[in-house]
Amino acid sequence: MIRLFQGHMNDDAVLAVEDLSVTLDGDAVLNNVSFTLRPGEAFAVIGPNGAGKTVLFRALLGLLPHNGLVRWRPGVKIGYVPQRFSIDRSAPISTMEFFLLQSPNFWRPARAFNGQLNEELKLMGLTQNVLRKGLGELSGGETQRVLIASALLQKPSVLLLDEPTAAVDAGFEDTVYALLHRVQMERGTALLLISHDLSVVYRYAQRVLCLNKSVVCQGAPVDALNPQALATLYGEASFYHHEHGPAH
Amino acid sequence: MPPPPHASFWIALLVGIASGSVGPFILLRRMALVGDALSHVALPGIALALIYHFDPFYGVIAFLIAAAFLVFWLEGRSRIPPDAIVGLLFTASLAIGILMLPNADVIESLFGAFPALSGPLLFAILLTALVLSALCFVLAKRFLFLIVSPDLARVHGLGRGYDLALLLIFAMIVALGIKLVGTLLMGALTIIPASIAKNLAQSMRRYVILSAIFGGVISVAGVWLAESFRFLPGPSIVLLGVGFFALSLPFARRGAA
Repeated sequence: MIRLFQGHMNDDAVLAVEDLSVTLDGDAVLNNVSFTLRPGEAFAVIGPNGAGKTVLFRALLGLLPHNGLVRWRPGVKIGYVPQRFSIDRSAPISTMEFFLLQSPNFWRPARAFNGQLNEELKLMGLTQNVLRKGLGELSGGETQRVLIASALLQKPSVLLLDEPTAAVDAGFEDTVYALLHRVQMERGTALLLISHDLSVVYRYAQRVLCLNKSVVCQGAPVDALNPQALATLYGEASFYHHEHGPAH
Repeated sequence: MPPPPHASFWIALLVGIASGSVGPFILLRRMALVGDALSHVALPGIALALIYHFDPFYGVIAFLIAAAFLVFWLEGRSRIPPDAIVGLLFTASLAIGILMLPNADVIESLFGAFPALSGPLLFAILLTALVLSALCFVLAKRFLFLIVSPDLARVHGLGRGYDLALLLIFAMIVALGIKLVGTLLMGALTIIPASIAKNLAQSMRRYVILSAIFGGVISVAGVWLAESFRFLPGPSIVLLGVGFFALSLPFARRGAA
């Protein structure tokens, strides 16, 4: 089992992070990051490439050694949605078998498992046909929805999503976010997501954390994502609002 | 004491099935070449056994298990590229083994022979092969999880212990087959059935089952060919396997093989 510090907290935060720092091969990749995740909220982490967003997630999940405190609410169920499968497309693994990795019995799955699986497929707008497809045959959008459905199987109270639309064709990104929004609304699942897309952050996130090795800004998107913060985050010449194009 | 009858067939059948059962996981982890090189480590073990007059089987198993731990340790260090080191260490051990081996035993150690085993040792080898095959099926889900998404698997509580378990199972299966197939070719026996099955299977469960079946069929048929035509069993098994693989190629899905 991964060891996550599960201490007692005064408030009802799902996750409290205090002074989290990560050093990899002698380089400080995260410095004194602090934030809390509240139940049922959508919390976005943004930042340029190499800002330490994925490192942050891996530290939160206990996959990387770190300093500082990562306190999950005791007993909280965490669903993790990686960007993609680590396996090559030629591997003969059916989508059903990917879901079966979470079934107690891989070789002869129980009926109850199938029932639960259908529920998650439906929520993600997928049909049973997808189960017969090989993992390598799924489109980017299907892959992402399969990964989310799989994370939902354990009925988590928080979902961690690492750029959920990185491998999704343009145009289907909104679908994925709309589905995630539905999960948040229908089940009260908190979403902690890494995103590149500022318009998504404005539309779906209640709070945002701007990260560039340390915290640059934090708060509600309309307040936190001010021109100064975005300039610090992405450099002077970058755009500060996706829908308005580059700033000058 | 004369060896029990049909010893070669039984070893071929059960070690073949075991090789086929572990092969898909080795192949999907992209460790085919590491696995192949690993089998070379057996050679110094054989040489030591011959010099100090104990059964080579024990030398082989000791060296292979040590090598499995070494590969596991190397995999855990991100700074060193493991393939190069594995390649160097294991070919070096092949070279050392060759220098230590008495000339009369070189061919047999490299390419296998019909084993002359005592009844109890034969029984132990067959039983171990059965247990190792069963383990591959029982642990299939966990091995696969770590292959499909290592981070996700670790979030679900699967630790690196399973990586070590896979390596140890693999090393022991190689050890069981080395007498029959030889140190140079035994690694190939774990890869060939899985390569054939990969071309034919659409799902992981069929993949593992087919691979186990091909492992048994190829090994038994190879031993039969070798006995009939007085060939060495190792090359017969491997060449027959490669033949099957060629036949399976037209069935490969796009992007596969």
